[in-house]
Amino acid sequence: MFSVKPLKPTFKSYLPPLQTELTKTPQPTINKLEAKLLPGEIVVNEVNFVRKCIGAESSRDDLWGKLICTNFKISFVTHDALPQQKFQYANRLLGEHDVPLACVEQVVTVNDAKGKQKVLGSNQKLKFNPTELIVYCKDFRIVRFRFDEAGPESAKKVCLAIAHYSQPADLQLLFGFEYVGKRHCAPSGDQVNGADRAGGPQTPLFDRTCDWDREIKRTGASEWRVCSVNEGFSVSPSLPEYFVVPVSLADQDLKQYSGFFTAQRIPLWCWNHHNGSALVRMASIRDPAQQRKLDQRICNAVTRSHPKRGDVLKSDLDKSLPSIQDVQAAFVRLRHICVIEPFEESEEKWLSSMESSRWLEYVRAFLKHSAEVVYMLEGKQASVILQEEEDRDLSCVVSSLVQIMLDPHFRSLQGFQSLVQKEWVMAGHRFLDRCNHLKRNDKEEAPLFLLFLDCVWQLMNQYPAAFEFTETYLTVLSDSMWVPVFSTFLFNCARQHTEHSRDFARSKNIPLGRDKALRFPPVWDWSQQFTLKDQALFNSPLYVGKGGPCVQNGAVKSFKRTKKNYSSTLRGMPSLRNGLLGEHDYFPRRSSLVLRLRPDFSQLREAAESPSERFFGDWLSRPPDLQGLLLPQLLPSHLKLWRLYFLRWVPEAQISRGGPITAFHKLSLLADEIETLQRQLRQYKGGAPPSSAPASAPGTPQPEQRRMYFKADTPRDPPSPPDYLSSSFPFSPVGNLCRRSILGTPLSKFLSGAKIWLSTETLASETL
Amino acid sequence: MASASIPAYSSNALENSSTKNASRESLKMEPLSDMPLLPGEERVIDKDIIYICPFSGAVKGKVVITNYRLYFRSVEAEPVVTFDVPLGTISRVEKMGGASSRGENSYGLDITCKDMRNLRFALKQEGHSRRDIFDILFRHAFPLSHGLQLFAFLSQEKFEENGWNVYNPMQEFRRQGLPNDSWRITFLNENYELCDTYPALLAVPFKASDEDLRKVATFRSRGRIPVLSWIHPEKQAVITRCSQPLVGMSGKRNRDDERYLDLIREANGGTSKLTIFDARPNVNAVANKATGGGYEGEDYQNAELVFLDIHNIHVMRESLKKLKDIVYPHVEEAHWLSSLESTHWLEHVKLVLAGAIQVADKVSSGQSVLVHCSDGWDRTAQLTSLSMLMLDSFYRTLHGFQVLLQKEWLGFGHKFGSRIGHGDKNHADADRSPIFLQFIDCVWQMTKQFPTAFEFNDRLLLTVLDHLYSCRFGTFLYNCESARDANEVKTKTVSLWSLVNSDRSSYINPFYTMESSRVLYPVASMRHLELWVGYYIRWNPRIRHQSPVEQRYRELLALKDQYLKKLEELQLSGSAPRLSNSTAPSPASPTQRVTHMHTPF
Repeated sequence: MFSVKPLKPTFKSYLPPLQTELTKTPQPTINKLEAKLLPGEIVVNEVNFVRKCIGAESSRDDLWGKLICTNFKISFVTHDALPQQKFQYANRLLGEHDVPLACVEQVVTVNDAKGKQKVLGSNQKLKFNPTELIVYCKDFRIVRFRFDEAGPESAKKVCLAIAHYSQPADLQLLFGFEYVGKRHCAPSGDQVNGADRAGGPQTPLFDRTCDWDREIKRTGASEWRVCSVNEGFSVSPSLPEYFVVPVSLADQDLKQYSGFFTAQRIPLWCWNHHNGSALVRMASIRDPAQQRKLDQRICNAVTRSHPKRGDVLKSDLDKSLPSIQDVQAAFVRLRHICVIEPFEESEEKWLSSMESSRWLEYVRAFLKHSAEVVYMLEGKQASVILQEEEDRDLSCVVSSLVQIMLDPHFRSLQGFQSLVQKEWVMAGHRFLDRCNHLKRNDKEEAPLFLLFLDCVWQLMNQYPAAFEFTETYLTVLSDSMWVPVFSTFLFNCARQHTEHSRDFARSKNIPLGRDKALRFPPVWDWSQQFTLKDQALFNSPLYVGKGGPCVQNGAVKSFKRTKKNYSSTLRGMPSLRNGLLGEHDYFPRRSSLVLRLRPDFSQLREAAESPSERFFGDWLSRPPDLQGLLLPQLLPSHLKLWRLYFLRWVPEAQISRGGPITAFHKLSLLADEIETLQRQLRQYKGGAPPSSAPASAPGTPQPEQRRMYFKADTPRDPPSPPDYLSSSFPFSPVGNLCRRSILGTPLSKFLSGAKIWLSTETLASETL
Repeated sequence: MASASIPAYSSNALENSSTKNASRESLKMEPLSDMPLLPGEERVIDKDIIYICPFSGAVKGKVVITNYRLYFRSVEAEPVVTFDVPLGTISRVEKMGGASSRGENSYGLDITCKDMRNLRFALKQEGHSRRDIFDILFRHAFPLSHGLQLFAFLSQEKFEENGWNVYNPMQEFRRQGLPNDSWRITFLNENYELCDTYPALLAVPFKASDEDLRKVATFRSRGRIPVLSWIHPEKQAVITRCSQPLVGMSGKRNRDDERYLDLIREANGGTSKLTIFDARPNVNAVANKATGGGYEGEDYQNAELVFLDIHNIHVMRESLKKLKDIVYPHVEEAHWLSSLESTHWLEHVKLVLAGAIQVADKVSSGQSVLVHCSDGWDRTAQLTSLSMLMLDSFYRTLHGFQVLLQKEWLGFGHKFGSRIGHGDKNHADADRSPIFLQFIDCVWQMTKQFPTAFEFNDRLLLTVLDHLYSCRFGTFLYNCESARDANEVKTKTVSLWSLVNSDRSSYINPFYTMESSRVLYPVASMRHLELWVGYYIRWNPRIRHQSPVEQRYRELLALKDQYLKKLEELQLSGSAPRLSNSTAPSPASPTQRVTHMHTPF
């Protein structure tokens, strides 16, 4: 907490006093330890008498148990309870100490007696018996196990198994296939672990025409139509079977144009503004000779679909945003400073390290670019075409952010999920490659989706009442990428999903019936992972739903904004121009006032702000309409590190019994009380729902289900926040982040150089 | 721009003034006759002027200067730009440009404020416009340099509450359970003869005689002897404070001082060692020997000395200056985080907080501590008050926080007069330093980390800082209690707490949850410390000021009341609920919930 430096751990300290071991781990219980297996899950290897390290300095709190490698996860089962931990968010697919193999970033084995260590890859040999195993996880956890008392051979086997099975050679070896195959055969196909399904509205998957039809209707995009030209993926391999195009383009045209686009990806409609302007995304045109002509045709078609024949503007994302490699590099640097560098040593340079990771800079760049697109759609009433080489990465981020800013529907839970389904899954974001599930090509790995979630978090942090869901939801959603059973994150595109599940079923002789394919569950069926009670942590007590309570003037605010004359304001904003503020600095140094002043005010004002700046400035000067347009505040001081996500496992950074969650707790109690009152009022009104109920917002699971996780059971006397709350809630750093220095080398150095040593058996052994 | 940001939290907009409702008609009679005026406030001059806004350029308007404020309103621009700045906020006024300069707006006036902004005006050349404004501004902004009175002494404001009654030293000692067997209250300093910068009432070890105290005073810088600030209600461990011992180059010893410190240690039966927290970096403490000061050497048995590495007032002043450079008028965009790092402001905040955590941790583990720096009125005040805030939930209430400021800052002679420079034209004085601002920043950081632990909100902290400079209230005037007594501050001026306590609800944090015995340990790490945007960047029009969460909570509270009322009405009207006969507005029981499964939402 304060700058008392922890003692440098020595290897002696890892050896526990023998007596405590014996008292802590009575033999009989150890034998009963079994892994809890899912359908299709099998044990590959296991080893007993393993110690899971909890603290970096002493082994006092360590847990004894069995380490198991299955085809799905690394499981540690124990009868010991964690010290000082009173809360753990339980996942139905995973035990408290489990790590899915898909979540493994790197496996490191150590023998400290021999002074050897090795980063284990698939199918490798290990020439020493490991005394320690360190698993670096993609979700930022670092988990450590000691084998001092374990059978050396079985320990080695488990380590090798983990390294091997976390790098599957083929997509169909990902656990999801076995799991879904077994579930398909089981009598009650939808039941997992006795999961109770929420009866709420289903998230549209956009794999059917009716989902698109509904979206067209919802946004009033009357000049657009669903086309099925790609049925059976006959035109483009990476586009969905159904998508939306301008009415003026016939199927024949589309087929003809498709050949000129990268990967035959013809332009896709994303969304319509109520003013008629549309958001469209498309890949680049491969043939330079066709470029002009085709551009013209597409533009014409989009213009014709605009009721007022508004302009069409094109935004080249590859030129204006960081590349996926940039994003990946920033992410690696950020992870390094957040969890790998020693806490105290990195304090002094924390801010500049954050800056040089460039993560926040990129978050800001994406938000800013999206806000500019919003200006074109809303302020200039022009349609916008997002163009990217393949239209499968940057456009996913930008198109979803634009829609979140413009359309409150996407700030509801169901709306948000449908947005991810529409702009990411169906549009063919390469989740398989970007997650690097097969660990085949590191160059393809990039946390675009996490970047997007971070951008959403920034908006949520600035306008918390505008979102139906919480940051816990965003975090859990991100973690679900590493549980390889959901259709959402397993595939590069819809076609891959269809083909692989068909092939797998065929090869395993699974009778498919009417479906003709195995159905991987989408992540949106949250009961697979969490109880209904725990899912309540997704619900924000602050949310102002559609027609939500607006107490100040009683008026129900509608989504549509009244048009404003944006030029009528003087409230100037500092320029948003590429961060080059010095250039139009109207606050010159003292002696140079005269020279820098221009005589004419109006000219001066003109020079000070562009129309888009005036648009942003005007919007910022008025109170935000949470059910209307939402723009991010983009001063660098507005962008924050998403602490819950990036620091939740860092014990030193945990604020015990504090953090934003304590205010959230208090709010939840009040929201719950209000819900109860509404329920009682409804009894009087005979079932007529009050129009201004926050709970009547879309996405509420079930009428009898209380929305809030924290409930007001004694409404007159709200209790103090529970002891288990902390800034990491509902996660816990205990046992999930165990840094150490290896052989006197700070861990940070070890990891950053790790790739180089990958092939060498040992590192030059440093004497202890 | 100014109108966009100022109404939220500017010093004048925080309270309702009664003089705002003059009609538009009267504008013709006297320029800006509808501007707010406080009782006792008088207009001195008005002029046509051009405000050079750093965000949107030149704005034509009128300015009025009173004996309390500078008030500006635009005439042509739409929407209207207004701002008003208490003259006490001004730290310097300068002329820029002149006859030899080219251009229309060449007669400039540059005003530097103490609250992180600058104002720039241009005036017409004709009629010595600028000279008039400059002279008047200079006189009234710095009244003490011109033989005039501070506005606090001219104000005729009346409030329901009398803020001077907020703090009664004896009452606060009693609240802490003093005097007791080990500690007594002494009136030795009643006439400020023992130490002129200390309060009249002091709590000292029971076993120390008045004669002992006098002897110790000779060995402590400016007679600021170790006295009690806080005592742990169960463990009896204490926080005591003082100035540095006068060890000097020769390393003098003073057995009275040594014995006195041992008495402090003994007063808490359980403490084997008294921990002395010297707030300074080790080298600074050594350097102080050259000027006769120093630190407790090895002669002090049963004591351990810990240096907390907090830098001095000059370092903090420079740090804040650098911070201003990167946030006003424009926020440094290209290298925001590294620029912020290079100001070291947050790092200093971290060190102060980390020091206070160490103090609090020692005391809550049952060990007594002594805190000092050089004079014991800057860093020492920060450390004792912050650790008391961590240890004692009373100080986290709206009332308790006022007591804390009165006791640890005003009572123990933090030199507000010199640090802020009220009414003094000498802006470059080496005594100026933002020590109190830094403390408020630390408090703000704590409220961020524990959003339910404090009864007061950000607005209170902003109000305190605004009136730290405004000179509208007597609270922060002069350097110590004896000086305030000599100037009859209590009888001739109004206390800031009169304003605050007459409008309590505006300063209440809706999330506050009382937890009486809890010790707060904030995490003093760069991972959690944040720049207080709502203060340091408040003049930037791209900052939204409302706290959305707090506002939403209030809306929900109102909604709840509305529902409760409706429900009551329905119950009175006797219409029985259709499906259940429950009447009490309590959460539905499980059975009730089942009953309503079919109710459409």
